[in-house]
Amino acid sequence: MVEYDASKAAELHPIIHSHVPSKPALRIKALETLLVEKGMLDSAAVDAWVEVYSEEIGPKTGAGVVAHAWCDNDFRKRLLADGASGVAELGITGWALGNLKVVENTDDVHNVVVCTLCSCYPHGLLGIQPSWYKLEAYRSRVVRDPRGVLAEFEVMMPDNVRIDVWDSTAELRYLVLPQRPAGSEHLNEEELAALVTRNSMIGTQRVLPVANGGQ
Amino acid sequence: MDGIHDVGGKLGFGAINPTDEDPPFPEPCDGRMLGIARAVARPADWNSDKFRHTREQEDPVQYLTRTYFDQWYKAYACMLVGSELVTVEELATGKSSGAKPDGLSKPMKAGDVEQVKQMGASFERPYDGLIKFQIEGHVRAKLITPTGHCRLPAYVRGHVGEVTACHGAHVLADASAHNRHVVEPLYTVRFWLSDLFPERDGCADLVHLDLWESHLETA
Repeated sequence: MVEYDASKAAELHPIIHSHVPSKPALRIKALETLLVEKGMLDSAAVDAWVEVYSEEIGPKTGAGVVAHAWCDNDFRKRLLADGASGVAELGITGWALGNLKVVENTDDVHNVVVCTLCSCYPHGLLGIQPSWYKLEAYRSRVVRDPRGVLAEFEVMMPDNVRIDVWDSTAELRYLVLPQRPAGSEHLNEEELAALVTRNSMIGTQRVLPVANGGQ
Repeated sequence: MDGIHDVGGKLGFGAINPTDEDPPFPEPCDGRMLGIARAVARPADWNSDKFRHTREQEDPVQYLTRTYFDQWYKAYACMLVGSELVTVEELATGKSSGAKPDGLSKPMKAGDVEQVKQMGASFERPYDGLIKFQIEGHVRAKLITPTGHCRLPAYVRGHVGEVTACHGAHVLADASAHNRHVVEPLYTVRFWLSDLFPERDGCADLVHLDLWESHLETA
């Protein structure tokens, strides 16, 4: 078995680029067909992963954690102290959750998450990243001009609220715990979870409207 | 490495244009590529750091214009060819011209997904060395220009920040991308935007990064 030397990738990229089909759908199809023929891949497992990340694992998982933290203050404290153990209490484990850190919005601090070097994300809680999270405009700018970036998400930050940006440079993954919205006192945990949006758990939304319901 | 991927603080990328409709897989092939990546039989030496280092060596024009999962395709294609599991010719045709490779993990079955989806590894490891930096201590991100994989972004190099947490010792990504296993203390370090960027003078906003001990020196 040849050990893979990743430093050779710069040489491999252009060679592969000039030989494989020019359309992504065709080259990915060719890859799947080849790997199945080699006995290295079972297409039914690919189907299963597509279904899991299309139907099952997504922001609803994270929203349930947030709502539970709003309703149970002792849980909230444990979650903030150790995110991975906190979500595991709720039976949630999975991709990129082994070193989870939950950061809490307050009246004085707003948190927003990025990965400037690639697009690291708490997949097991939020599913697949939104496309803007993976692109260079967000990754380059949010560490330099977080207020300008948030304004593009229609979040106008007052000067007296500090912004804490979290750049996921190691294997810690970040979830923002948004503030429970005013006027939500009458809602139960399930109804609260319905208010919590994906962007509020990344930090590109701050206020969660009660009247409109969640996404 | 000082590659195109290290975009933090770079200017000129324009508006973000977030959209309400943002499906996980814009095209069916995107979902197939995620599934291939998760389910393919693999050699024991592959890891996410090798994957990231492979992806970041893409030609800058390609890096900035290929869709996300198409970049995954390119990274996996490089890893498969570089591990001599497939040839470029086979990638081009989609047809196997050789025997099934030995020594790989078993290809995942659909029935395995239910269990595997709940697996999320911790990268913390036992460590009996000294923890060099203290909480609230000031540290400088080293001003380095490495050729290999490096998780210390360029925009903080040379700048002073404050340690806010130590997370024990973690597998050093910069080493495991290059077949070396090193465990080092991992810290969260906060930097003031006003120290990093001239136009943020007087701004109280912070950026927090998770940095390994070898990225840092006493300030």
